[in-house]
Amino acid sequence: MLDVLIKPNKFFEARMKEAESLKVPLLIVLISGMISGIVAFLMARIALEMLSETLPPEALGLASTIGGISAFVGAVVVSLVIWVVFAAVFFGISWLLKGEGTFKRTLEFVGYGYIPMIIGGIISAVLIYNFISTAQIPQVTDPAQIAEIVTQWIMKSPMLQLSSIIGTLFMLWSANIWVFGLRHARNLSTKNALITVGIPVALYVLYSVWRLGVLG
Amino acid sequence: MAVRGAGMMKLLPLIFLLLFVVGISGAPVAGEQKASVMITGYQVSPDALMYNDIGTITVTVKNMEALQSVKIKEASLLEREIKVLSDPYVSIGSLGPGESLNLSFTIRAGYTDGIYYPRILLEAENAENVRYQIPVKIDSTPLTIGVKDMPEEIVKGERAEIKLVVGNPRPNTVTGVKIVTDDENVIPSEVFIGTLSSDESKVASFNFTPQTKGVHTLTFSLEFKNGDNPHSTALNIPLNVTESKKSAELILTGIEIESTLGMSVYKITGDINNAGLEEARSVVMKVGEGEGIEAMHPYKSYFVGLLSPDDFSSFELDVQVDENVTKVPLIIEYKDEEGNLFSMIEYISIEHRPATSSGEMPVSMIVVLVVIALLIIGVVAYSWKKR
Repeated sequence: MLDVLIKPNKFFEARMKEAESLKVPLLIVLISGMISGIVAFLMARIALEMLSETLPPEALGLASTIGGISAFVGAVVVSLVIWVVFAAVFFGISWLLKGEGTFKRTLEFVGYGYIPMIIGGIISAVLIYNFISTAQIPQVTDPAQIAEIVTQWIMKSPMLQLSSIIGTLFMLWSANIWVFGLRHARNLSTKNALITVGIPVALYVLYSVWRLGVLG
Repeated sequence: MAVRGAGMMKLLPLIFLLLFVVGISGAPVAGEQKASVMITGYQVSPDALMYNDIGTITVTVKNMEALQSVKIKEASLLEREIKVLSDPYVSIGSLGPGESLNLSFTIRAGYTDGIYYPRILLEAENAENVRYQIPVKIDSTPLTIGVKDMPEEIVKGERAEIKLVVGNPRPNTVTGVKIVTDDENVIPSEVFIGTLSSDESKVASFNFTPQTKGVHTLTFSLEFKNGDNPHSTALNIPLNVTESKKSAELILTGIEIESTLGMSVYKITGDINNAGLEEARSVVMKVGEGEGIEAMHPYKSYFVGLLSPDDFSSFELDVQVDENVTKVPLIIEYKDEEGNLFSMIEYISIEHRPATSSGEMPVSMIVVLVVIALLIIGVVAYSWKKR
């Protein structure tokens, strides 16, 4: 499994000789989703804590539990959806570049590419947890203010900025793996594989940078 | 005929004697025929004039005859020091037996105090002329006004009662006495005393509530009338208004400012202490208004309540400030025992700095970032080399 991180070309070359299987990729994506879910769980509780002045204590406890679990499940589901979306986008772009191969194989190899994002997710989760546990939570009366506050956190908190940059770096590592994965899954040239992965990833990275306020 | 002639000769001395007697006594009879008029009374108003005052002299002229009328031709008043404003009376008319008549003259007092004697000159057609001197007193001594009682210390924002005494050292009664001030911090603005007899004094009270500390001069004007003549006397009272030594004195200590999650929201905490000698009631702390400053929940304001002397209370305020704001005004409001509201402002300096919730320095974060970035670049490079 380590080969997918440091020798992805050889790894996918070997996997091409085996039958298509989504078990391991699904597990990887699920682990990645659960890590995102933990972060979402923490953020949901923070959001509800901001509203503690407007909610009665008994409702706050229930809402905190339900909200946290919902956020966790939602993050896991979204991770799975994004996995499929990424695979579909790669599949579509590679189709334009005369790529050949099944969608299942594409989905499988994209799933393997999630491994670096597990590492990045763990680091980001630790940073976010550290940030949340030591920071003061402002009280708001209007739920609409929560989004504004979270945006300001991301814009101004070095801890969250670091978390976001680390997430982007590991995303680039994943993109590197996807290039080799798509090259084999869709039988593309290295150049076409770079284009296939590069376009959506570049858009994603640009969006992340913009969100950090560097361009915004 | 001779006998008759001799008899006539005997009567001649008697006739001469009779004529002589009649001739002697006839002169006194003719002198008693002139009628008599007298000045039976006079009145000077006001009793004592001040310099340049206008007054009146009224004389009562009476025909002392029981049967004969007197025709008065002219009446005039003469005096050098006192100016007579009215014209002499001319062709006044007849005054019946026993009748009296009042004649008034308007005068203006001179500038020198003293007693003067203007002369009344009365000319009658069938009576002897009358000359009569009337004493008129000119005394310019004004009314006196002074402070009877006032607090030793005048304190800003506290009501001080100032008692003024008005005295009349003049020889006559004055009217319309009142004390007036136009100082907006003095209530009432006017006290009416009314009539003030000679050597009488009356007290008037004013309440002075200064709004600023420092030297303050209160100006009062004593107004009165001497007859119909208005006069006034001014009184200036310089006062040194000070801050109360006994009032509550609120000071802030132990101020701590915590930024919230790297946002521009700050939590200001600290202690509010009463270093004065009186209680501060209903103490409320709030964030002052200003551009780029907004009080936030949960503590837009903080109610401290009663703060006894030498007591303290902690407080907490939440405020959102823009990055260009460096000072936040804190308004402290409290009331004294009489319900007077006091307000003071303390400015708290805000230091804008990136919040680091983990306590790590940004440099260390950059190091971590660089290490991770190098690691990833290394792995990616290795993957391309070993493909």
